[in-house]
Amino acid sequence: MTFYAPFTLPFIIGALAMFLILGIKWGIWTSRLTKPQKRLLLRNLPTRRFLAALWESVREALLHRRIWRVNPLLGYMHTSLAFGWFLLIAVGWIETLVVIGPRFVPLQGHVFFKYFATELPHDPFFEQTMDLLLLFVLSGVALAWMKRMRARMMGMRRTTRHVAGDRFALTALWCVFPLRLAAESLVCALHGGGGFLTGSLGRLLAAHLSPETLAPLNEAAWWCYSTALGVFFVALPFSRYMHIFTEIPLIFLRRCGIRSSEKKGFFDHFQIEACSRCGICIDPCQLQRTLGADDVQSVYFLRDRRYRTLRRRVTDHCLMCGRCAERCPVGIDLNTLRLNARTSLRNIPTDRRYDYLLGIDRSAGAGRVGYFAGCMTLQTPRTLRAMERIFRAAGEEVWWADRDGGVCCGRPLKLSGEVDAARKMMAYNTELFRRHGIATLVTSCPICLKVFREDYRLEGIEVLHHSEYLLRLLQAGRLALQRGERLFTYHDPCELGRGSGIYDEPRAVIEAIGTLTEPAETREEALCCGSSVADLEITDGEQLAIARDVAASLERTGAETIVTACPLCKKAIGRGTERPVADLAEVVAEALTQTA
Amino acid sequence: MKRVIIIGGGIAGMRSALRLAEAGLHPVLIERDAELGGKLRNWHALFPDFTQAAGVLDELRTAVARRGIEVHTGCTVRRFDARSAELADGSRLEGDAAILASGFTLFDARIKEEYGYGLYEQVCTSADIERMLNEGGLPAAPRRIAFLHCVGSRDEKVCQKHCSRVCCITGVKQAMELKKRYPEAEIFNFYMDIRMFGPGYEELYREAQLHSNIHFIRGRISEAAPTFDGRLQIKAEDTLTGRPLRMSVDLLVLLVGMRANADNAALAASAGLELAPSGFFAPRDPFLGNVRSAAEGIFLAGTATAPKTIGETLNEAIAAADAAAEYLKTR
Amino acid sequence: MALDFGYGISKPRSIDLDRNEFYKGNAVLGKMPELQTCIGCGSCTATCTAGALTDFNFRRLHTRIRRGEFKGIYDEINKCMLCGKCRLTCPRGINTRGVVQLIKRNMGELQSE
Repeated sequence: MTFYAPFTLPFIIGALAMFLILGIKWGIWTSRLTKPQKRLLLRNLPTRRFLAALWESVREALLHRRIWRVNPLLGYMHTSLAFGWFLLIAVGWIETLVVIGPRFVPLQGHVFFKYFATELPHDPFFEQTMDLLLLFVLSGVALAWMKRMRARMMGMRRTTRHVAGDRFALTALWCVFPLRLAAESLVCALHGGGGFLTGSLGRLLAAHLSPETLAPLNEAAWWCYSTALGVFFVALPFSRYMHIFTEIPLIFLRRCGIRSSEKKGFFDHFQIEACSRCGICIDPCQLQRTLGADDVQSVYFLRDRRYRTLRRRVTDHCLMCGRCAERCPVGIDLNTLRLNARTSLRNIPTDRRYDYLLGIDRSAGAGRVGYFAGCMTLQTPRTLRAMERIFRAAGEEVWWADRDGGVCCGRPLKLSGEVDAARKMMAYNTELFRRHGIATLVTSCPICLKVFREDYRLEGIEVLHHSEYLLRLLQAGRLALQRGERLFTYHDPCELGRGSGIYDEPRAVIEAIGTLTEPAETREEALCCGSSVADLEITDGEQLAIARDVAASLERTGAETIVTACPLCKKAIGRGTERPVADLAEVVAEALTQTA
Repeated sequence: MKRVIIIGGGIAGMRSALRLAEAGLHPVLIERDAELGGKLRNWHALFPDFTQAAGVLDELRTAVARRGIEVHTGCTVRRFDARSAELADGSRLEGDAAILASGFTLFDARIKEEYGYGLYEQVCTSADIERMLNEGGLPAAPRRIAFLHCVGSRDEKVCQKHCSRVCCITGVKQAMELKKRYPEAEIFNFYMDIRMFGPGYEELYREAQLHSNIHFIRGRISEAAPTFDGRLQIKAEDTLTGRPLRMSVDLLVLLVGMRANADNAALAASAGLELAPSGFFAPRDPFLGNVRSAAEGIFLAGTATAPKTIGETLNEAIAAADAAAEYLKTR
Repeated sequence: MALDFGYGISKPRSIDLDRNEFYKGNAVLGKMPELQTCIGCGSCTATCTAGALTDFNFRRLHTRIRRGEFKGIYDEINKCMLCGKCRLTCPRGINTRGVVQLIKRNMGELQSE
């Protein structure tokens, strides 16, 4: 048996082309990783991380566990297509091995085994199993159809609008499995055998059509099947289906500790091309659900960046709230990719920029604890005043870094892409903190907090958000609070919650003062207030619309006071509600008893 | 006798009631507070000629009492239409037409947190100044006073796009009153635009500059912060010199604007009225239908439709009453 | 040498709207039409983090651009720290940070007179 027939050519050419292109792409990306990234790869690959990555690949690339968690029906769809297809290949391979023994069979021999195996004995177990697997995959194809027609039935308000190339590949993929069913059924009609699906369908065909009709149909079906596969394989590296293979190296590289950075790099390609454009990121996006902007979501950003059609608006119109990244089944670091796209737009080398910072020091007081209010907090003096009372009540000696105006932390500049210029501010503030010898740095602004923790080199200085600091004071018994009957609700600021993982501390502080009730979307799922400094495009009216939305969801809790822990969120939400919006520090200061 | 329900017992409501009574109709005044008078009860003197507010108010209240007008105080209207008004306690008042004279709400200056109202004792509102003047003056003689115009007016950040019209002249008037009482004090008015549209207003503005030596600085204060010696430091840009400006003051007066009442939307929905984007009630048109509403038999008077001066409000009250009387004649 | 008493409206002193190019300022306004609603209250400059440390004045800067005056704008705009306080305070709801970015982006064109 030669396992060769002319119809296999499209498949063979397609498969070869695909592997060649994949090899070239991965080769280039890997070879152009930075030196430290390569070191990480070499050092970490031959360790336990390898096994972990292997298991994660099975879990995510085949089983799609994370999609199951977001939406079980969608999870089933992806599992049936990915895992189902994988099993078809794997079990088909075993079937070949069992039926003809251990000898070399070329690739097309495995794939088109039913065509070549008409003379060989049938193994009913494998025939039934393979039919079951084909049915499994076909059910996924049916669901994919349904998702295209009516996204809502699949629990998605919206699904991705695809480009022409993706539609082409999608059509080829959808054809593959029905054509396989047709081809295998026709073989069964001519030669007998087959399981409950192909066998039954074959008998049905044989009963109605003569062998003279069936024979050319059979040839035609196998040609179509092979062509569909070939077309799909050629289209794969250029379409969204690149994700099928790219997610696996992404998982391995990520497990080795490789990350995208504030400047573009070749690792970015692994992330960008691992996006399957499933569209899960669209629904959580508030620019979509509140403002109806439907071309800026992460899926479109990654697509446009990949095909080099990225427009400024898509790069800039994003709150970077992280709600999409939280849901992304591939775990793509969406914010960093958006950020480094901005960097390549705007990061202009300017050595003399911000020279005016030299020698400025407007700080006041002295103490081991430094307090950095943040620019925005200077516009919410109730927070500032409350912190002042709290420090006094706790007997803390405080060095006030910026009460009389300071230098911006640098994060807003960084978020807009001017990362090198932002370093100047970071260097200035770092030097200021060091000069005043503080051991703890407390800030009321989550934006500052994030940049202090992630970009500043503040070894020896502990950086705390005031929510963490307040909880410490409470736990150490340094503040005496009067617990009351008030009902509070809490809004998670993006940079504090999803950005810095601080969810429990503010809640613990609130619960020491009154009762806390949660809005429908909270913690990792919390809404963004809309005033994020990361969005460079959003208009005032749009910010207000989002703020009203968020305020309404907080009002629905029935709480009398809305608490948050970010000056921007506080200002934003206050625009959307008549109810009092207070910073965490304010409610703590109000609850202070005289004895403390 | 035909009855006309008047919602709001401020100057507009009282003036309408008197006019209707003169025309031989039966007005029914409904007031939320315990007594008639509305915002004017808390005012001291009126621009542009420093007439005592109490004088105007007393004259109106005395006339209402003398006429024996039916007054329901301490009653909040929950919903209404041309023929009836339902009160918060569930009782109903019947009528043949209605005049809505429900007025405005003073902007809550605490919303502009950066100015520190309710946080620093040196910050007060224009309404607080009137109250203090009625009570005999400020607690201590200030050396330096800053007035800030447009607080809660022309400010998208607090969803108040409109101009409240009366704050500019109020700022000038109060500055002069304080200067008269505290001649040693330096007074600075921070403004974006000075709008002196009424008779005698521009003259008063000129007088404030010429005779009272009130300083006018073109710039909006961005924030206020306490100083270590118990004063208040304010920040603004002196836009005419193009430089940032800081100064310490003993008193910061926020000239608060007029905001639409929070229950306007509910009242409008109950009566089939329309609201302007500002949240105030929309008249049928700004010209011949300016005291008529979208609903037949319901008329509008005073600041329920937009910020107005006292003189304009009183005129409009008469116009609304006349329109209601005209309407009832044809029925 | 002629004496200059400061009264003469010589060319470099006055803003010459007959000669200045408006289309460049209009390019900025086309993208951010709300900038035209600026009432020049100066809140942005008053609250400005950079303006407290240097002579950076955002109000004056964007006004000059709208008048077609671009000299030295680039060094000036680069003093901005983009902290966003001005946006928080602007009573007209202008996306001030967006305006700064827009000015920077158009700068090549603006400077090549």
